[in-house]
Amino acid sequence: MTEDQAEALMNAAATALSLPVDPAHRPGVIANLRLAARMAALVEGKALTVHQEPAPVYRP
Amino acid sequence: MKAAETAQAIRAGRRRAIDVTEAALADIGTRDSRYNAFTEVTAARARAEALAVDQAIAQGRDPGPLAGVPYAVKNLFDLEGIATLAGSKIERSAKPAARDGYLVRRMAAAGAICTGALNMDEYAYGFTTENAHDGPCRNPHDLTRIAGGSSGGSAAAVAAGLVPITLGSDTNGSIRVPSSLCGIFGLKPTYGRLSRAGSYPFVASLDHLGPFAGDVADLALAYDVLQGFDPEDPAQTRQPVEPVTPRLGAGIEGLRFAVADGHFARNGHPEAFAAVEAIARVLGATRRMVVPDAARGRAAAFLITMAEGGNLHMPDLRTRAADFDPGTRDRFLAGAMLPAHWVTQAQRLRADYRASVLKLFAETDILIAPATPFSATPIGQANIELDGELVPIRPNLGVFTQPISCIGLPVLAVPLADPSTAGTPNGLPIGVQLIAAPWREDVLFRVAAALERAGVVAAPPLRG
Repeated sequence: MTEDQAEALMNAAATALSLPVDPAHRPGVIANLRLAARMAALVEGKALTVHQEPAPVYRP
Repeated sequence: MKAAETAQAIRAGRRRAIDVTEAALADIGTRDSRYNAFTEVTAARARAEALAVDQAIAQGRDPGPLAGVPYAVKNLFDLEGIATLAGSKIERSAKPAARDGYLVRRMAAAGAICTGALNMDEYAYGFTTENAHDGPCRNPHDLTRIAGGSSGGSAAAVAAGLVPITLGSDTNGSIRVPSSLCGIFGLKPTYGRLSRAGSYPFVASLDHLGPFAGDVADLALAYDVLQGFDPEDPAQTRQPVEPVTPRLGAGIEGLRFAVADGHFARNGHPEAFAAVEAIARVLGATRRMVVPDAARGRAAAFLITMAEGGNLHMPDLRTRAADFDPGTRDRFLAGAMLPAHWVTQAQRLRADYRASVLKLFAETDILIAPATPFSATPIGQANIELDGELVPIRPNLGVFTQPISCIGLPVLAVPLADPSTAGTPNGLPIGVQLIAAPWREDVLFRVAAALERAGVVAAPPLRG
């Protein structure tokens, strides 16, 4: 994820979530979104079948 | 001061709980300013609890297995009458806790004496306890260096000898990292083993609570007291109480050991791996096992942490982001914005990764892995050289702990008795993770006790 892409994600999410981001906090948020994107790429590097469910299991 | 010896002396009437308590309070008052481990000293409560223990003994009642033993808790545990800070500025205006957290109630019922609340990274999101509101917690082995985190105060208080037992929390390594950097023993039990009710949450999917101590017997004593089913923690599994103290002398015969390979054999300084080898030699562990997908597991924990943490703090992020510690704020903000796909995929990967790792325990009882990639770094230092690259210290301190808590395996962090043999700078402490299959804390304690008897693990003494 490029810096511009992370900034676009931040702006869109901030609007959708009514979550204002102070100008002073924007560089840190962008850097953390880019770090998260690298982590997500690792997670997505392993193909899972449709039958592989999330770890948390709800028990009524 | 050892907890077991103190309790024994008090139970036998050789010492009074109030005298032990007054001595501990005076020591904390004199020395804690060096470490900044305590954020609150609960002197009145401690004295009242101590007098109750002495009264029980005078009346011939059983005062409990931790009679008169001073302890303290990370300041995310509820203590009745005190606001639960969780390392934050925001919670300073919260209502005082109406009652103690579940584990604090267990300690009180066992006769232990609560002396206060301890410094931590804000909302438990960090590995260094460089808290912007309370100041950094300093490592008792070198006051210019970090104690680790997020339960930094919990580890420093034990390493400094202020109290023999503390409680902390571990979501991604927050018991094991400070245990390693401060050279003490820490237990992150199996996910769901100990109740978390009455503690400030961080990441419901990954939060664990556990004890710290200066030796294996004291850690076992605390762990045995903390066990019990609490319907108020929805994630707790109903397990029988399985005391480990009676098994400490059982030895390691028949147990199988393996050194964790792959992810756990890189990403650290030589001393981290030398510490593992020192433990492996004593245990006769010659086998090496690759932990499959460990880096992916760590990445999954990273994303789940960001997302659940961001979600939890959304109301304050929306209205008072400036009141967060700069060390956590931007991560919480970013975490609140993660695409749902990433987080759901992380939870699916987590289940797949767990299945792969659990297979390893068909062939070994214990995995041995580094606890931290290096020993304590100077307070304020942001980056460190690793394999020729400059990398940020804060996220990398959890590189070996995150893949394990991601799937809730029990871990006992043991400190190398003589860390200079592993080549740590200036002989600074370093620890190793002993990792077992779910619910096998008993095996961890047997192995740790055997290593302690062999002299290879122990809390290194403070110099000077």
